[in-house]
Amino acid sequence: MNVAGIDCGAKNVKALILEEGKIIAKSSVFSGFDQKAAAKEALDLVLKDAGLKKEDLSHITATGAGKEEVSFSQGTITEVGANAKAINFLFPSARTVIDIGAEEGRAIKISEKGKVVDFAINEKCAAGAGTFTETMARALEIKLEEMGALSLKSQKAVPMNAQCAVFAESEVVSLIHTKHTKEDIVRAVHDAIADRIASMARKIGIEKDVALVGGVARNIGFVDSLKRDLELDLLIPEDPEFSCALGAAYAAVEKAKGG
Amino acid sequence: MMEKFKEWYQKRHEYAQEWKNKTGGKVVGYFCTYVPEEILYAAEVLPVRILGSHEPQDVTEPHIFGMYCPFCRDCLAQGLKGRYDYLDGIMIAQSCLHIRQTFTSWKLHIPIDFSYYLPMPNNVQSKRALPYLTGELRVLKEALEKWTGRAITDEDLNRGIEIMNKSRRLTRELYELRKQPNPVLTGLEAMYAVVASQMVDKNNYNETLQGILEKLPQRPVEKDSKIRLMILGSENDDTKFLQMVESLGAIFVVDDHCTGSRYFWNEVTPNQDPLEAIASRYVERVPCPSKDWPERTRMEHIKKLAQDWEVQGAIVIQQKFCDPHELDIPATIESLKQIGIPAQFLEFDVTVPLGQFKTRVEAFLEMLREEDLY
Amino acid sequence: MGAKYKTEPLKCWDKAKEIRLNYYKNFATAHEKGGLRWAGGAWSFDAIPAGLGDDVYPLTGEPYGAAVAFNKDFALKCHEAVEKAGYARDLCSYMRNYWGSILLNKYVFGGEFPKPDFIWQDHICCSHAKWYQVVRDLEGKDIPMHCIDVSVGPYEELTDNKLDYVVGQMHDGIEWLEAVTGRKYDDEKLIRAVHDHCRSESIWAEVCALNKTVPAPLDEKTMYSLYVHGTLNKSSKIVADFYEELRDEVRDRVKRGIAAVANERCRVMSDTQPPWAFLSVFRYLEKYGCVSVGSLYTFGLIGMWEIKEDGSWGPRKTPQEEGIEIKDRDKALRILASWELNKPEWQHFYFPQLKSEMMIRIAKEWKLDGVLLHYNRGCEGLSLGIAENRLALKEAGFPVMSFEGNMGDEREFDEAQTMTRIDAFMESLDFEKDVS
Repeated sequence: MNVAGIDCGAKNVKALILEEGKIIAKSSVFSGFDQKAAAKEALDLVLKDAGLKKEDLSHITATGAGKEEVSFSQGTITEVGANAKAINFLFPSARTVIDIGAEEGRAIKISEKGKVVDFAINEKCAAGAGTFTETMARALEIKLEEMGALSLKSQKAVPMNAQCAVFAESEVVSLIHTKHTKEDIVRAVHDAIADRIASMARKIGIEKDVALVGGVARNIGFVDSLKRDLELDLLIPEDPEFSCALGAAYAAVEKAKGG
Repeated sequence: MMEKFKEWYQKRHEYAQEWKNKTGGKVVGYFCTYVPEEILYAAEVLPVRILGSHEPQDVTEPHIFGMYCPFCRDCLAQGLKGRYDYLDGIMIAQSCLHIRQTFTSWKLHIPIDFSYYLPMPNNVQSKRALPYLTGELRVLKEALEKWTGRAITDEDLNRGIEIMNKSRRLTRELYELRKQPNPVLTGLEAMYAVVASQMVDKNNYNETLQGILEKLPQRPVEKDSKIRLMILGSENDDTKFLQMVESLGAIFVVDDHCTGSRYFWNEVTPNQDPLEAIASRYVERVPCPSKDWPERTRMEHIKKLAQDWEVQGAIVIQQKFCDPHELDIPATIESLKQIGIPAQFLEFDVTVPLGQFKTRVEAFLEMLREEDLY
Repeated sequence: MGAKYKTEPLKCWDKAKEIRLNYYKNFATAHEKGGLRWAGGAWSFDAIPAGLGDDVYPLTGEPYGAAVAFNKDFALKCHEAVEKAGYARDLCSYMRNYWGSILLNKYVFGGEFPKPDFIWQDHICCSHAKWYQVVRDLEGKDIPMHCIDVSVGPYEELTDNKLDYVVGQMHDGIEWLEAVTGRKYDDEKLIRAVHDHCRSESIWAEVCALNKTVPAPLDEKTMYSLYVHGTLNKSSKIVADFYEELRDEVRDRVKRGIAAVANERCRVMSDTQPPWAFLSVFRYLEKYGCVSVGSLYTFGLIGMWEIKEDGSWGPRKTPQEEGIEIKDRDKALRILASWELNKPEWQHFYFPQLKSEMMIRIAKEWKLDGVLLHYNRGCEGLSLGIAENRLALKEAGFPVMSFEGNMGDEREFDEAQTMTRIDAFMESLDFEKDVS
């Protein structure tokens, strides 16, 4: 049996196909202005990669902010529910999932069976999300990909208050002016986001093990900051940005089996 | 000369712990300057004010909603991080809702032997406030007696009054020195003195300050005159900010903060009933904006300070989300304008963007210097 | 899964609307008939100015602020006017809606903003007395103002000394009212108003208690349009009589099994004032068969409760029902003060646990599946301690979803994100949307 999970996110649409529970193909497409078209493109790509046709799929489940835009899906699941399913499969020992997307950060508490027990989502402000890091990279005039490695070279912690992206940007600028090194400032940015994320996660109560998903999980500097803040190790899947799509695909399996 | 105060402020926890070891007495942490320390001194309990640490923190989100001021959250973080584990009790006198949550969450989550909420009246302009508060102070006195197992006599209360009044008189003398054309102490030093006085045994503080006051008038001063500033608004112990401003050719000569003059300005006028005398002091003191209604009595006080200390400009600061101060800021700026004093408004958080604020303060000082010229 | 229960509109709906609109009209036109206007808060002891005569009309600030919030465009103009005048945008949004109306000189019910003859305020949160202090800055310092501070602590710790403080300010207030209006005060009218005040609040609690029934005869969105009368003028005979009529109708709905939400299968409560411009949230919940049966806010801001013999929560007996005779002014004021200090949506100002206990009681007695907490950036008073309430509810085993918003400033509410959050919450409780 083949099923697909589509994660129609704010920045990218991710699609994934499972064959008897195993991932056989993945695709990622820039969302752009037309999420509907992007979702279609992501599906076409992933089908091509798997060598399948749409008719070969027993079920398609959509998730993500634009899940309603995925006109060809047969069901939907929230990102919260999708992450819980994916992580429960990947790391059965995980009880807390931290997911950091482009515009939103989430913390989810899950049961042994992968059921959502509690969750928290960051509010309107994007200070706890991927976009924030990008804004700061721009302010520092460095590439986003460089931030992780730079941050690890930092010699000292500089306190920075990141209540809001706009304020944080001006704080970064004043740190530049007060002659702090780029390494230290990048670490300050990561510490500040880690601070926001940890703060949100503490709201639901952090229970071990803790998994980290979402694109930001690829940033080694941020991961280091978050580990230090939470004083524990993090489980990170191989493709952290595909966690929601994977969870949606598991939901599709359940639907296909349950009818 | 004034280093002791800075040291006490920075090593507040070490001080309190040592005091406990030495005296075997109890320490009560308090959250608002409406707490009548006279009665705590009478009970031989050491009152220490709980302040934040100006570090970003991520432990209060489960307890206090983020729309409340960063100061109240910073204070709770100190408790949650165990930095005040030596306290025997906590106490608050009713003022704003923000800091009230620090008290209630502390009470809920941090084990403590004694906790006390003094329902200090908000309508201090009503004639009903004095008898009411007097009655409530009696209840507080009884609660302290029960907790410490020791009776508090009128003599004890008068001793408490004398300790507090002495410290107020001495600090006032320190502030008087700031009236000079070239003050012998900076605003930062004055701030350290007042906040230290909130954290250490007033007997120690009084003795140290007395010694300093004997020598301070002879302290050499810089010849260049500086722009005379006033700083006012909500709770403020942002020493880094003061240091930055005073490095730009300005000097703070007076303030209106609960970490500054508002704390010590008024004395207790002793009378037959010491509790009533104490109550009267807290009803009549320079109010926190949360109690300054229906009339805004604080405005006349601020204007008088500005004039008596010959202030050229004012920096009006406010803790982010501090409703009581937000409600007074337009009126404060207007009052200062009436007497020709320009004001610069700044919103404070746990940490302030020093670079950005420096630019604004520099521009403000530039403007004041030009006014000086013509 | 579709409709399970019969549903029908409330018969007294039009009357509810009429009373509310007359209230706002009466205030605006009071002077035409030689009457007086006063402005103050919904907590104000409105029974006291009632002693000045039957032609004395109030305008309570909070419900007015909510009425403005309902009109998004006007609310935005109000916020902009207030910010331009130098006031912070994170202040109470009702207050900003009210000040904005003054600055724009526009009454949201039409015409110019009517200036009060005097201000009769209460002080419950940091902003209450200051609200009208600023009103005087804007409308004129010549408007006399009296404000009663009720901050004496929780009801369970009430002592004579505390009650004397509140009652003393009330006595002073009556002398002050006579002085500023030049009218002779009528204690008989005061006593009648105190009776009606208690009657309104006890009956409102009775209405809310009827919502323990499955299916709930009322949903919270409807209750908002009904509890409001208690925030306008609870001591008036019109409101007390209306609540009796409403109670009779709701009783009848219960008897006939009439539901507010036909597909009810999930029951929740909310907390604090809702984001008024987005009551659509409640309609969205209905897609999941989810009904909000009320909140401590809708039950306990106006309703007065007590623990009944069987241990459950029911309407508090009024002084009349207790056989207490009110003979003079002092007795009337003492009863009024002590009655009001028992308000459920007030105790949390002193300790969040007091509110948590009441919320857990509601969750149990009203048979709830979960709780939606509105972290309301517009109101520091009612959001006080909300994070601790969340922890306590979870500890007691009730699933909680929290969402941030603002009762009166739509710029701080993210509708789409809130709906997404509801989806995740309903999914976690295993409720599915009805297929439309």
